[in-house]
Amino acid sequence: MAQSSAATEQPPARATRSDSRELRWSVGIGVAILAVIGLAPLTGNQATISFWTFIAMYIVLAQGWNFIGGFAGYPAFGNVAFFGIGAYTVALILERGLPYWLGLGLGLVIAAVFALVVGLPVLRLKGHYFAIATLGVAEALGEFAASKNVGGTAGEISLNPPPINYVESNNLFFYGFLVLALVVLLGTAWLSRSRMGYALVAIRENELAAEALGIPTFRYKVGAFVLSALPTAIAGGLFAYWQLAFDPVGEGGAFDPNISVIMILMAFLGGAGSILGPVLGGIIIEYLDQYTLVASPMLHGPLLGLLIVVVTIFLPQGLIRLTRELLRSPEGVKLQYSMRFKQGVRRVTRFIASNGV
Amino acid sequence: MAQYVINWLLLGCLYAAVGVGFSLIWGIMNIVNLAQGSLLIIGSYAAYWAYSVLHINLFVCVLVAMAALFVVGWLVQYVAINRVIRAPFLVTFMLTFGLDLLFSNLLQLWFTADYRSINSPLSDVGLTLLGARIPLLNALVAVFAVILTALLSVFLSRTRSGRAILAVGMDRDAARLMGIGLARTYALTFAIGAALAGAAGAMIAMVLPFSPSSTGQYTLFAFVIVALGGLGTPWAALAGGMTFAFAEVFAPLVSVGGFQVGYGLQVGIAFVMLVLVLILRPNGLLGKPFYS
Repeated sequence: MAQSSAATEQPPARATRSDSRELRWSVGIGVAILAVIGLAPLTGNQATISFWTFIAMYIVLAQGWNFIGGFAGYPAFGNVAFFGIGAYTVALILERGLPYWLGLGLGLVIAAVFALVVGLPVLRLKGHYFAIATLGVAEALGEFAASKNVGGTAGEISLNPPPINYVESNNLFFYGFLVLALVVLLGTAWLSRSRMGYALVAIRENELAAEALGIPTFRYKVGAFVLSALPTAIAGGLFAYWQLAFDPVGEGGAFDPNISVIMILMAFLGGAGSILGPVLGGIIIEYLDQYTLVASPMLHGPLLGLLIVVVTIFLPQGLIRLTRELLRSPEGVKLQYSMRFKQGVRRVTRFIASNGV
Repeated sequence: MAQYVINWLLLGCLYAAVGVGFSLIWGIMNIVNLAQGSLLIIGSYAAYWAYSVLHINLFVCVLVAMAALFVVGWLVQYVAINRVIRAPFLVTFMLTFGLDLLFSNLLQLWFTADYRSINSPLSDVGLTLLGARIPLLNALVAVFAVILTALLSVFLSRTRSGRAILAVGMDRDAARLMGIGLARTYALTFAIGAALAGAAGAMIAMVLPFSPSSTGQYTLFAFVIVALGGLGTPWAALAGGMTFAFAEVFAPLVSVGGFQVGYGLQVGIAFVMLVLVLILRPNGLLGKPFYS
């Protein structure tokens, strides 16, 4: 199967004038969105702030995944491993009474080394095999934390709150995630115009051709994997001290595989491989996710599943690319969707005609 | 030790059943069906319901589960998956994951998260051989799993529909030119894969506890089993099942200086094995480049 262009199929990247205009707009809109989110503490409502803290956190995770999954087109399904490493390093450091910044830094280093060590064998795999191998690595880490009692019985962490009052710390972590999202946004913009960014896009579009052109593909892939580990690990470290108590596995755990999938869904809905995609996708998905969680905890899971199904069937190209197509030719997109609708109707009538109801 | 060997063989056959439907869908349609675990647990509930509410014979329950899942599989393929069959694989990955989330949560709504298992009069029957106990149900399940694998193999190579499925797996465009209806063949493939998952689920319900939260675990198992064995034939799933069961049964025995290295790390060890096998033999232990 010629599926090396796994994540998205985009026309080959070339730095034309319209491209750099799009880059400026993307960064501008992204910064504006994050700035608006930054106004959340003005409401003074702690629930609202927590709500948007989660959104900022998931934006960071989706942005992190975007490096390996969006740019390089390698569908990592286990990025939660880096998140968990960040969270557990902070927890273990704090449990020993050492300073928080040490935990964050150490988590960053450990996650990067881990990405390097795991990436060396795993990035030789392709397609489904790569996806499942990364998923397995994350599962194995969660299993390890739970069965070897890392940081507490069955890996369950419970930390002492930071020595400042609750409101202050809530705000602090909110801004922590937001600044991180901003830094990664700018980093992504820089990457998309760098030698490495172009190399990764080349790998996504056709790895064999990229290799033939003399691009050291393997080195760049490992680089992208390490790069995607960095923000994810810091997000994990922030998450640990913000939440104070978490489990290794299961819903809401630091190694919960659903986190991996949700970050992919976000990047996917927004547009994998774009600068703004993870930000948009992160806001939309996490907003819906938390909204349904509050509105009806029972239906939260099924609705999330349905959302994934609908997004993948009807919006496989992502919002960014859809916007790009709409700007270029609104008629074309309209035609495309009305065609798809008509085909669906025709298929249903044919099905009923041949089988009866 | 004899007990460990018996456990290994019985579990290996059960795992072959877990993998065989997944392997068919992957091999023919190039879809890694992340909803396989859900289909399997739906099969468990179908068998559980048929046994405890309708009081059907335990072995007929397996057939009930297979029939139910055949219908479910056909519908899922027709309604959802056929729409993205040509899309990049990340799309089908996400789609089937969404389906898995949908199914497992619906199961949880209807049946609650409690662990259940089928308690039949046969559950305690067993015989002893060389000091090792062989539970009767586990042995029957193992035999049935091997029979299912053989049946699938015969179906694929001897019947018209089976050959159509193989042809589509080899080259879907050429098969289409030969007059094979793609949508129908894909639906049939997925339905058979789902029915096999249903059978595996029913068998699991007889010998192990299950709950809606087991779905992800079995999807993962199915993947590792199939990737270990390879995609070539239904028999590869048996090889993969045996290898995976070997890791699970014998890993806890490994200890270094009194520290039980393997205990609680079965999944981790299985994945290390998987990565090694994939690097050394990219097509799996028994795999061929195409399904035959």
